[in-house]
Amino acid sequence: MGDFLGFLFNIDMLATWWPRILGGLQITVETVLLSCSLGFLLSYPICLARQSKSQLLSKLMLSYITFFRGTPLLCQLYLVYYGAGEIRPFLTSIGLWWFFRESFFCAVFSFTLNTAAYQAEILRGALTSVSRGQTEAARSMGLSPYRIARHVIWPQALLVALRPLGNELISIIKASALTAIVTLPDLMGVTRIIFARTFDFSIYLYCALIYLAMTEGIRRLWNVIERALSKHLALARGGGAFSAVAVMPPNEGAIDA
Amino acid sequence: MKIARVLSAIGLATALVGTAAQAKEWKTVRIGMDATYAPFESVNEKGEIVGFEVDYAKALCAKMKLTCTFQNQDWDGVIPALLASKFDVIFSSMNETPARAQKVAFSDVYYATAPVIMGPVANKSDDVSPAALKGKAVGSQSSTTFANYIQKTYPDSTYKGYPGADEPNLDLASGRLDYVVTDILVAETFIEKSGNGCCRIITEIKRTPDIFGPGVGAAFRPDDTDLRDMFNKAIKELDDDGTYKKIEAGYFKMDIRGK
Amino acid sequence: MTWFDLLFGAHGWAPLLLRGALTTALLAIAVVPFGFGGGLLLALLKSAPSRLVRVLCEGYTTFFRGIPDLLALFIVYFGLQALIDKLSHAFGDELHLELNAFVAGVIALSVVVAAYSSEVWISALKAIPPGQIEAARALGLDRRRVFMQVVLPQLGRVALPGLGNIWTILVKDTSLVSTLAVMDLLRAASEASKATARPLLFYTVAAAVYLVVSVLSGITQEYLERRANRGYV
Repeated sequence: MGDFLGFLFNIDMLATWWPRILGGLQITVETVLLSCSLGFLLSYPICLARQSKSQLLSKLMLSYITFFRGTPLLCQLYLVYYGAGEIRPFLTSIGLWWFFRESFFCAVFSFTLNTAAYQAEILRGALTSVSRGQTEAARSMGLSPYRIARHVIWPQALLVALRPLGNELISIIKASALTAIVTLPDLMGVTRIIFARTFDFSIYLYCALIYLAMTEGIRRLWNVIERALSKHLALARGGGAFSAVAVMPPNEGAIDA
Repeated sequence: MKIARVLSAIGLATALVGTAAQAKEWKTVRIGMDATYAPFESVNEKGEIVGFEVDYAKALCAKMKLTCTFQNQDWDGVIPALLASKFDVIFSSMNETPARAQKVAFSDVYYATAPVIMGPVANKSDDVSPAALKGKAVGSQSSTTFANYIQKTYPDSTYKGYPGADEPNLDLASGRLDYVVTDILVAETFIEKSGNGCCRIITEIKRTPDIFGPGVGAAFRPDDTDLRDMFNKAIKELDDDGTYKKIEAGYFKMDIRGK
Repeated sequence: MTWFDLLFGAHGWAPLLLRGALTTALLAIAVVPFGFGGGLLLALLKSAPSRLVRVLCEGYTTFFRGIPDLLALFIVYFGLQALIDKLSHAFGDELHLELNAFVAGVIALSVVVAAYSSEVWISALKAIPPGQIEAARALGLDRRRVFMQVVLPQLGRVALPGLGNIWTILVKDTSLVSTLAVMDLLRAASEASKATARPLLFYTVAAAVYLVVSVLSGITQEYLERRANRGYV
């Protein structure tokens, strides 16, 4: 049994390789943070366009969202990375090749487009969860559209969106392991390199534990944030009289899609 | 009660794990290869693995009267898969390096060719000194002797490692890479196939034994020395009866046996 | 060569892509009973009386939901085979178990999908009013029959939306098996694009096929949900 545990966890590995692992971790964190924040910025315009009155615009956004949610991220990454390589003369002529030349930018580009599609749908679900009556009530009280959005809609919508957005962050962390396939030495990438040097299986388990620490950490942090932000709702739920305020629809993001 | 049952099951399992492997009679042998390495092994449009090493391994199996099957396996996982018994032999242009020899048992060398540095045709310079390649993007399949060579020789260049052996070639053609280190015959095959004059072989690399080892051998689980000895015997027999030369002539103009 | 020749010519890659698509479909379908069934088992075990069992099941779910699917596949793919091999050595060769890449892929994906779906099953189990179970018990049904005849028939309906989500994740996750050794749709597209240096064409074809499967899955799911919810307005 001790033999088997030794096979699973070889401590010497960490002592030798931690600088490489940290380097990989840094790339993973950079990729995830950049993609997720860019995706968040993109998601609101996409969500607006999706609900716009222009048929063309909303159909276009619907196809965008359907494509990026309906195909594997790995396929999208290949398409961007190797597809860009194929049309290099074109990309050079429009001055974009420097961007697609770098595997880091290719990865961030495809992850951003992917997560923007998911986040746009999360936002849409959250915005529609705020009942129409509230907008009408706010308007009848004479609030400007800006103040309605700022003080009535967004605080509630963001609270509803919080959990699915956290799940999306977690799934991008997990998906970022794919970047190793397009030459980026991220956490998964350096793990593969170290494994190839040492043939020591325990490095995969250490790598798993690091990912686990990140995803579990975020999950718990999110629980704390959510509890802090929804204190008023908990009260309302308990009180009963205002329970109608607690609009918390069962969101589809509850499992990290 | 239940816990006791679970524990006894675990105890039984660990007891069994401890038991030594038993000798076996070889009738069928499963061969694993990373088929991204034309002309040695690649996948054709029917999904079959074809190439020099496939034909050679088939001839060896025929000699030993073994039934052989072929499996594709990504390079990163080729040694773990062998050790995990997903197949019994690696026939995948694997150079016999000291690090690998600690994990697997190698057969006698059955070919040895020169590694090369390949660059775009537009690059007219033949200078491949570390100074000339400083800051340039140099790529290869990862976890290979080529990768080790690049990282050792060109610490100031940007190394890029790929899962397959054919992917760095594509990135050289697209201009993401400035140089690729690969096998001479793989480079020639790629240049010929790409046809648009994208790339050229800049120089051959000397096979230094510390990085490249003595040559390419088949790899076995350390326990399966009986199987390795059978293969060694067959390798010698195919050399003697001229079969090796015949298969080689079907693929290459040069002699790759490298004794 | 034109795209038509590359796909449907004498040496076209369409047949291999088609076979890859079939492998992808078979892979996804084969995972359903094990992945979803395993998830249900996990969900039930998480309310088992034994604390050890509960902790183990929670740990399993947390682990496989918290690490990249690619890493989980790799760990299961190689770790499991090493274990099976050691066991079969111990039993002698009569019991030599062999996992081909496809079966190993099915098991690895099932392990991940079981972890995902257990959460869906748990919320579905919670959604069944305890009153029903108490009533059935009061009628004299034993625990097994309460589960089989009262809980299970309703569970599918409640779990359907969540399971549908996981199915679409599963279809996309099958593509990860292409990085191991299985000639699935994405692997076939990969081989074709590397052999012909036309990645744009072949990856677009692959994406289109995945997209069709996803859209069809969505439509089927909607239909099933509507059917299952007849009588529940």
